[in-house]
Amino acid sequence: MALAQREVEENDSVPAAVAAAAGPRKATWRDHETYRALLVQPWTYVTGAVILALLNIALVAATGKGWGVTTSLAYWGAWIWGALGGDPHRWAYFAEVKPAFNAPGFGLLSDPGSLTNLGIVAGALLAVLLAGQFRIKRLKSRRQVSAAVLGGLAMGLGARIAFGCNIGDLFTGLPSMSLHGWVFLVSIFLGAAAGSRLLVKYFI
Amino acid sequence: MTTAIEPRSNVRRPLRPPVTRKERASQLPWALGLFALIVAAGVYIVRAGGSPKLGFIWVVGVALGLALQRSRFCFTAAMRDPVLTGSTSLTKAVVAGLAVGTVGFSAIQLGAYFKAGQLADAAKLAALEPVGLHTVVGGALFGAGAVIAGGCASGTLMRMGEGFLQQWLVLPFFVLGSALGAVTWPVWKAALRVAPSGGVWLPAALGGFLPALLVQFGLLLAVWLLADWWGRRHAS
Amino acid sequence: MAEKTLDCLGEACPVPLIRTQKAIAELAPGDLLVVQIDHSCAMKNIPEWADKAGHNYEIQEVDDGQWEIVIEKAA
Repeated sequence: MALAQREVEENDSVPAAVAAAAGPRKATWRDHETYRALLVQPWTYVTGAVILALLNIALVAATGKGWGVTTSLAYWGAWIWGALGGDPHRWAYFAEVKPAFNAPGFGLLSDPGSLTNLGIVAGALLAVLLAGQFRIKRLKSRRQVSAAVLGGLAMGLGARIAFGCNIGDLFTGLPSMSLHGWVFLVSIFLGAAAGSRLLVKYFI
Repeated sequence: MTTAIEPRSNVRRPLRPPVTRKERASQLPWALGLFALIVAAGVYIVRAGGSPKLGFIWVVGVALGLALQRSRFCFTAAMRDPVLTGSTSLTKAVVAGLAVGTVGFSAIQLGAYFKAGQLADAAKLAALEPVGLHTVVGGALFGAGAVIAGGCASGTLMRMGEGFLQQWLVLPFFVLGSALGAVTWPVWKAALRVAPSGGVWLPAALGGFLPALLVQFGLLLAVWLLADWWGRRHAS
Repeated sequence: MAEKTLDCLGEACPVPLIRTQKAIAELAPGDLLVVQIDHSCAMKNIPEWADKAGHNYEIQEVDDGQWEIVIEKAA
């Protein structure tokens, strides 16, 4: 049946019958072949991985520090606490683990991690808009709310305890040939396996 | 060229009558507007921060977001799918990224080593963190949280940009969890016996770059082969 | 030849794929499953899974950031 004719087509090549049946439509920017290949159709995973790695390398080459996400989130939390009247500069954590936080004049605009975090949000938004695929996806159920809350808290706490996340520890730490990166790799796998069971049981 | 947005398929015949795409206003003007804002933000960052390097970092961030979204990259799925669906295509891609990263980072480290003559100078450029039980505990907690939340650290940021309100909700709790983790540092530092700094760098621990790189690439290859075998075995 | 529609709009990864797998299991060979998604990951991982599992699929963008994946269950 159809299986005999099966052929994986990863590009836009169109079953001729479908194209003819669909009929013509006014051509727009989006239909131009190169535009579609570059900006609409998804890139392969390996392409993404290589580009991300190259960008990380560029970051280290230029600044001496690799890509990280979650340390800056701890800074954001601390700054918010400061805005609410607390004094995060007294936390032992910053004195002992991240002394850069207490450096005079250190703030959002001088923190590389904060800049890349905000940049990623902007870049992702730019990417979907260029593809014409932006859409607001609202929360559908209370399950999603509890998943977001619990998942977010667990990630924040876990990243501090592990001294990093899938980026800082894994994507930057491991290629730096730091042992903690490898240990984190194994641990995140185990955690993801456990999380999958919880997900299927309680959050689907 | 006058065609509809064509469907993609793995068979040469249509499975059903084609659906015409809804006619919507183009999003391109928004994209161009955002691009202008991004450039403006970059200028502001350089001026306010007093260093062009900060502008470079901002551009890298934007490029990271673009690359993440365009390739639908998801570290969470790389960790989760082998167990949940038997797919390891993302896992293998992550390994490829780690391999490229290793090549680049070790080149930079080697450069520093040859320049200064001391292994310790090269180590300064490595992202070293203390390793121990806490790495396992934290990593497992992070992995579980990422799967439940529907995205990891980079995935959360990427999906915020894509318009997923769920990830906009994840972020404040991610920040809260991070702050709580920092403020409770004395507690888990004692409980898990954590050193505040240091770490194990393979070239130092294994007696040089050569053994370290051999081990590193050997392990990466092993992980890749394992993922490849797993993926083929679980084609269901 | 039955046709079933699965509304996965607004679902977070990997829910669309898991629901698709469950729904396909309940269909007969030759039946069609139309999965409606708006998750950018799902528009990649569902066709990938379908192809790997031996089913025929067709994915089409039907609106801004919205896709429909038609899966024809294999024998």
